Amino acid sequence: MNEWIEPADAAEALSEIDRRREQVIRRKVFPGWWWWAYAVLFVGFTAAVESGRGVLIGIGIAAFVACSLVIDVPVRRAAGAAPPRRGLAPGAARRTLIGLVAFVAVLVGVALAIGLSLKAAGVPEPGTIAAAVTGVLFAVGGPILVRWEASMLVRRSGSRR
Amino acid sequence: MTTPRFDELIHAPTRLSLVAFLAATGWADFAVLRDSVGLSDSALSKQLTTLQDAGYVEIRKAFVGKRPRTSARLTADGRTAFDRHVLALQQIVSGAGGSVVQASRSSEQS
Repeated sequence: MNEWIEPADAAEALSEIDRRREQVIRRKVFPGWWWWAYAVLFVGFTAAVESGRGVLIGIGIAAFVACSLVIDVPVRRAAGAAPPRRGLAPGAARRTLIGLVAFVAVLVGVALAIGLSLKAAGVPEPGTIAAAVTGVLFAVGGPILVRWEASMLVRRSGSRR
Repeated sequence: MTTPRFDELIHAPTRLSLVAFLAATGWADFAVLRDSVGLSDSALSKQLTTLQDAGYVEIRKAFVGKRPRTSARLTADGRTAFDRHVLALQQIVSGAGGSVVQASRSSEQS
């Protein structure tokens, strides 16, 4: 090995370290279908509740819980296979929490606004329609939120900061 | 305070990739490491053994159901060595590098 490490070689090594860190952060944990599966679950659950029939509500709750557990298996497995280390990006946890809360607030706000508007207009099954719209928003917005979080973590965790 | 120290064991290209990946995670599955760093099973085993012998990596073997599952993570010594290596690289890039490399090697020889 050379006695001296050239600055260019050291810079390349730092770039490699950043690439590997980014690889950990951007590793895919949520498969694309996961968001749509939950969207369908939301709609089914809301339709069951909106039916007002005790048996259907019971089946809806049981199906929601059971399907959630099954759907989450690959996500839990992927998340546990190489989780980003805590403290990797200082200050990122607060931003992630804010992003998540804002996303949930938008979803709830949209669901309530659509549901109440449709109910006021006398449209049948307003809750189910609102859940369907919110489900699409969740399935489209969820991956965007995850990408935003990953980009923010990458920005805040570089080896040359 | 962490002091810079160039680490030749870590700096070897494959091990640098491996240690950099491990430095960003807690426990990492063998399969994830292999696929992420792009090594064969045997090459990864060899590198992990080298790092384990140096005290930089801890290896855990467990069973999930009937399937064996091997994971690895950096030890506290490994993380410290990596942090010091990163500092040494940063100093080299910023212009103070030669002395850092030489100083760390002379301290190894003494």
